[in-house]
Amino acid sequence: MRKAFADSLLNLAAGNSRIIFLTGDLGFQVFDEFHARFGSRYINAGIAEAQMVCAAAGLAKEGWRPLVYSIASFATGRAFEQIRVNIAYPHLPVVVVGAGGGYTYASSGVTHHAAEDLALMSLLPGMTVVAPGDAHEVTELLPQLLQLGGPSYIRIGRYGEATYQADAPVELGRARLLRPGEQVALISTGDLASVTLQAARQLGAEGIHPVVYQMHTVKPLDTATLDELVGRVETLIVVEEHGPLGGLATAVGTWRAARREAPRVVRLGPPDALALGSLDRETLRHRWEYDADAIAQACRAAWSGRERG
Amino acid sequence: MARERQMAVAGSNRKTTQADRDWLARKARQVRATCVQMAHDGREGHLSSSMSCVDVLVALYYRWLRISPDQPGDPGRDRFILSKGHGCASLYAVLADRGFFPKAWLDLYARNDTPLGNHSCIHALPVLEWSAGSLGHGLGVACGMLYGLRLDQNPARAVVLLGDGECNEGSVWESATFAAAHRLDRLVAIVDENGIQAVGRSKELMGHTSLEEKFRAFGWYARCIDGNDIQEVLQALEELPIGQGRPCALIARTVGAAGVRFMEDQVLWHYRVPSEEDLARALEELGELPIHKEQGS
Repeated sequence: MRKAFADSLLNLAAGNSRIIFLTGDLGFQVFDEFHARFGSRYINAGIAEAQMVCAAAGLAKEGWRPLVYSIASFATGRAFEQIRVNIAYPHLPVVVVGAGGGYTYASSGVTHHAAEDLALMSLLPGMTVVAPGDAHEVTELLPQLLQLGGPSYIRIGRYGEATYQADAPVELGRARLLRPGEQVALISTGDLASVTLQAARQLGAEGIHPVVYQMHTVKPLDTATLDELVGRVETLIVVEEHGPLGGLATAVGTWRAARREAPRVVRLGPPDALALGSLDRETLRHRWEYDADAIAQACRAAWSGRERG
Repeated sequence: MARERQMAVAGSNRKTTQADRDWLARKARQVRATCVQMAHDGREGHLSSSMSCVDVLVALYYRWLRISPDQPGDPGRDRFILSKGHGCASLYAVLADRGFFPKAWLDLYARNDTPLGNHSCIHALPVLEWSAGSLGHGLGVACGMLYGLRLDQNPARAVVLLGDGECNEGSVWESATFAAAHRLDRLVAIVDENGIQAVGRSKELMGHTSLEEKFRAFGWYARCIDGNDIQEVLQALEELPIGQGRPCALIARTVGAAGVRFMEDQVLWHYRVPSEEDLARALEELGELPIHKEQGS
């Protein structure tokens, strides 16, 4: 995804001379071509996320279209007040890019874990929050974010994420149908989309066919798609690599709470706990039961529960 | 002495007349009277902070800044950011007096639905360059503005007024580093060094270290001045090495609530709201009416 981001940024910057990129001293060699081609429109702000965000705000005020880039935990947590005061408050079109979202850097320890980024950014009024699932979704969403009149946050991964095919277009604010089905809906965000699809394929062989949606846009929530699912499915299984508060499951739960009739919501994802022990990401997902096997298992339970009823 | 020599060598192109000096001094007294009236009417304190920087604001807004109330959005205008947002009463007074908005609005200070909040807000008052309230943001934002302006070959300058207490914030020094690294030499930071913070004295909280030396160590031009002497402020502004590769800092030594003796240099007057009696006493000492209470205003 990081490569897709860098390539996409190059293309966009070639077509829009107001695009300017700031990094918090991260992305070694990833943005060399951008720097070479666009010179002063590349700024290494140093290990100073607060300053990077303030400078981006000032640039946006003067008519530039800045993107600020750091590891997701630093981009959103270290500079949270700067984003709140200088970007959200004046509602400026700055794109905050969080690389290595979720537990991309699982084994690097708690400092590098970004399981609060979607919540932190969603809390801010006027902020658009997206977590694309693969390189294609990054490439499709980035230009849409740059069309916005206000701020946005994009959580991206690192490299080597699985890609997937789907006919549905990648439309900001719209859940993307990845696989048709019935009775149970699997709703993923971020790079768990491919894991969720893997689970769906396993289930298909067993004659279980959940509908799969990728909610790359966490805010604003696509309630229209959720409303369409009412009456069509009995269970929504939300899969997220994020703390249990303030992510996609919270948003879907809030939508659910306001309705008399709506499907049951099941959440799969990390608990409200620190991920200690320098585990690798796969182990973490396995232990916290949101890997493909766990998703398939949760789906079977919902499916058979329906058959018993 | 050293400074006087330096000024003599540098010389001054400024031709001041006694009438001009008197006019500016009177303006400063009127702005102070306005601040006390606004604090009293709006039941909102921060007089220490808003009055310490009046002379700096008068020097900037009546003489040095390239701005015009007729074209407040002119791309070539100088950008002024009040980063110590709690001192905004004096900025409002100066902006109203310069015609950026009606003087009658000063009566609305700190009321519900006001354009003039007790921390400045660009949504409420779009003629401002920036909102303020939380400290340690303005300098970094000005860095971004100037970086962008330079790319556009726009020669505008940016002035940021900070508090000395504000310089407790680490983000100020991230910004100072960035400004030097990117040679933002049209940036002017003015620190209103009134020595008073919300619940203490700046010197104690900063370990008796020098802001001037710190800015120099960060690669800036830096100079200490008497921030309550309008002529000295103007002289220092004109002698700034703008466009010579380094950002510029003026450490303006001021007195909290300067200009009204019974309020001066007391932590108490950081928050205290003046009573009816305080107001009358202050106006009498200043010998001027608030800007929005003058006849014909």
